[in-house]
Amino acid sequence: MILLAKIALGMAGAGLASAGVLCSEGLVNVKVVEKKPQGVHIHVIAPAMLAPIAVHLAPGRALANAARQIQPNMQAIRAALDGLRDSDDVVLVEVKEPGEHVEVAKSGGSIVVDVDDADETVHVSAPIRAISSTVDQLADAGSNSLSQESTAPDQR
Amino acid sequence: MRETMRRRIATMLCMLAVGIMALAGSAMALPAEKYLHVNVEDPTNGGSVNVNVPLSMAEKILPAINNHDLHEGKVSIHNAEMNGVDVRALLDAVRTAPDNEFVTVKDKDSDVRVAKANGNIIVHVIDKKNKEQTVDVTVPLKVVDALFSTTKNDELDLAAALRALSDAGDVLLVTVQGSSQKVRVWVDSRNTQD
Repeated sequence: MILLAKIALGMAGAGLASAGVLCSEGLVNVKVVEKKPQGVHIHVIAPAMLAPIAVHLAPGRALANAARQIQPNMQAIRAALDGLRDSDDVVLVEVKEPGEHVEVAKSGGSIVVDVDDADETVHVSAPIRAISSTVDQLADAGSNSLSQESTAPDQR
Repeated sequence: MRETMRRRIATMLCMLAVGIMALAGSAMALPAEKYLHVNVEDPTNGGSVNVNVPLSMAEKILPAINNHDLHEGKVSIHNAEMNGVDVRALLDAVRTAPDNEFVTVKDKDSDVRVAKANGNIIVHVIDKKNKEQTVDVTVPLKVVDALFSTTKNDELDLAAALRALSDAGDVLLVTVQGSSQKVRVWVDSRNTQD
């Protein structure tokens, strides 16, 4: 009986520890609400750490195009993310049109995008640290796939 | 024994107080973050665009962009665009000159006025053809100096200009007042446009 309790305690501890590690980079929050009757209502909260892991595990070929596009701008993207991380909370961009409101802000270590128009409201929030890791993973995936492409003709 | 203990506690408290004061002092000495604000308002349809960029962030991003004529925070300008004018000599003359109106052009299409006042270069344009659109540009001389601080004649140092802008006080850089739109660009220490 005591052994079973110890195993259960160990498993609960391991579960808590893994949940803590998963949530250590914060949470990605996506909320989409369509305004029409019986419209789609999506609300996803996921550990931000999953994003770089997913990019790491995804096949290189699937990411090659995105990586190729992102790589020439990596220096600027890294500088922007570093600058954002160090800056105070601020509304970076706000666009107001009749029936439409778009806001991009830095809030508490996250980038928050809010869109409110006639059809739907969208709220996306992602921690800057997680975005940084994901972009780094994407660039790495690109460099790996590019190096594989360059060595492929030699093997033929 | 008790006396020694008291002295030790008093010494520790003094050190703690000095430490807190030093920390508070250094925190107070930190310069406030400056923000570049852009506000575009279109009263005809009630729309507006607000952009707020921390200057420290812009200072970090700019040197990282290497694209076409922009590289390492400097932008290349081609000699043809300077029309043979020695801008550095011109700036030197303006810097040493007293506050004055240097250029005034008035014709049927536009009025242009270029002046120096309170350490700023001020350009005022009225475009009569374009429904009396007015453009006012105010640039601190320190920013202009930083812009031309590179050793190369065909380069402008945007990164240095941003740093100078960040050191300058609150300043309204550009206002454009048209019949349909109003544009304002300014720098201050507030992270909102309220």
